[in-house]
Amino acid sequence: MQGIDREWIVRKTLFVMAMMAVLGVLLIVFFVAREAMPAFTQAGPANLFSSAWDPAGGRYGMLIFITGTLTTTVGGLLLGAPLAIGSALFLTQMAPRRVRSFFTRVVELLAGVPSIVLGWLGFTVMVPWIREATGSPGTGILAASIILAIMVLPTITAISKDALEAVPRSYLDASLAMGATRWQTVRRVLIPSAKPGLLVAVILGMGRAIGETMAVALVIGPATAYPTSLTSPTHTLTTKILMEMGESTGVQRSALFAMGLVLLLLSMALIVLVRAVTRERREAA
Amino acid sequence: MSGLEVKTVEEEGLRVEVAAGLCESRDERLERVIRQHIERHKRRAAAADRAFTAATWAVAAVALGILAFIVITIFARGLGTALNPGFLFGKPQAIKEGGGIWPMVVSSFYLAALTVAMVVPVGVGAAVYMSEFAREGRVTRLVRLGADVLSSVPSVVFGIFGMVLFVVYLGLGYSLLAGALTLTLLNLPTVMRTSEEALRAVPVSYREASLALGASRWETVKRVVLPSAAPGITTGAVLAVGRIVGESAAVIYTVGIFVRKIPVSPLQPAAPMAAHIWHTYTEGALVSDWMRIANGEAAFLLLLVLALNLGARLLTRALAKKTGTVKGNE
Repeated sequence: MQGIDREWIVRKTLFVMAMMAVLGVLLIVFFVAREAMPAFTQAGPANLFSSAWDPAGGRYGMLIFITGTLTTTVGGLLLGAPLAIGSALFLTQMAPRRVRSFFTRVVELLAGVPSIVLGWLGFTVMVPWIREATGSPGTGILAASIILAIMVLPTITAISKDALEAVPRSYLDASLAMGATRWQTVRRVLIPSAKPGLLVAVILGMGRAIGETMAVALVIGPATAYPTSLTSPTHTLTTKILMEMGESTGVQRSALFAMGLVLLLLSMALIVLVRAVTRERREAA
Repeated sequence: MSGLEVKTVEEEGLRVEVAAGLCESRDERLERVIRQHIERHKRRAAAADRAFTAATWAVAAVALGILAFIVITIFARGLGTALNPGFLFGKPQAIKEGGGIWPMVVSSFYLAALTVAMVVPVGVGAAVYMSEFAREGRVTRLVRLGADVLSSVPSVVFGIFGMVLFVVYLGLGYSLLAGALTLTLLNLPTVMRTSEEALRAVPVSYREASLALGASRWETVKRVVLPSAAPGITTGAVLAVGRIVGESAAVIYTVGIFVRKIPVSPLQPAAPMAAHIWHTYTEGALVSDWMRIANGEAAFLLLLVLALNLGARLLTRALAKKTGTVKGNE
């Protein structure tokens, strides 16, 4: 009798622990939304989703920062995704065994580099390079995109590698046996078969880029203005929150939470997208 | 074989002049053209294949180059400072030059220890539930969705959430505990995933043997499954330490960015190294040697994270050998 009770208690305790992840999500959504509420009621959505950010004048528009987030993310993916998928192709198709395990370590170590360290490197080394090369301040979309490309590289590489490895070996063998070259096999057989997985990899990389804060904060400028060129300073949602949360109160603080809420919704939308893509793949299989 | 006799053959719109014996027949010519075509195609395919091979090796070289560049540059600029005991174990200075970072080093390790003490039991418990107790269904789907969403939340959002709930609402103030609670949620999905993978890698026959001997499910988990999965779980925990030490955005508004004294109680504010680099960058002008401090701190942080990553792997290997478990991963 006692034994059964203990099993029951253990089971329930473990269940509660498993539900912590769900509880965590609910808490985060609840508290961020609660703090964002005053911005919606007092400033209003029209004000929040406008281009003017001037807390002293009662303007709390976040479109500049949304633009900054989207442009740096696209830039980071344009630079990082081909490199990452190329690395995954290298790992799965080209690399000899020993090189493969070495290169896997390299990617893992790259994933472990703290974003503040990468940002510091960007600020002390990369920004001066861009400054000298272009005669601009050096900070801005370009610098942030390069940093983000490095940040998304390990994520996209790891997930693409899994997607490429999931393609049955027999598909590739059949193609090679018919006389196709390695590249023809990759282009006509491997990539089409792994496409949903590669898409998931890029989407998750996108999530990483949208949420990245510190590495971008050190190279983005900052400036509360739309970027006019690749090297003009601007702000992203994350950097604006980071830099103003400490010294803001009232509606301004609430507007920063509204930006946090936008970030939350963006990352959730990406998860929904990933799930839709993987479900499609499962049904197709 | 009268060499000069020329015939013109016209058939199906194809006109071929044939000098019997010297020129080819229509079929031969067709064959030659087709063969040439195939040869050209093969040459092009081979060239494309070589280009592909070269491109993938080049891409790999770039990725390797990026890591090498990061490590070499950060170490070249800061390792000299970082490995100087006067810097590492020194007191920080607010205005004067020559300050050290000892309270930040302690803060980082303190924060990591507190977080691991919370996230590992909860994460492993959740993983045990998912792999040993739950039947696949609505609950497991909900938990997986929760973990997926949680792992996608940007760290700065974790930061402002932790500030509202732990620092303000629960009244913990800027403190190691508030930061550790925030980072527990941040690291929960990864710890859950690595632990669940480790648990699932334990052969079913182990569990069957234990259950057949009359052990209960929990006894089986405690005595058989968890010990066999320990190497994998430990690796996950060490990797979590690396992430905690490197995290800054979630820490800045929950723990703090600068302290002069070594934090003693978990309820005290602290300044983990990653957050302190940010402080040094933003408040740079306060000390004239701020670049030296941030360079040194960045180098030490990178060294630490690389050591933890490599250490996790060596540890796995050592533990796997000791417990005799076969790990699926390489």
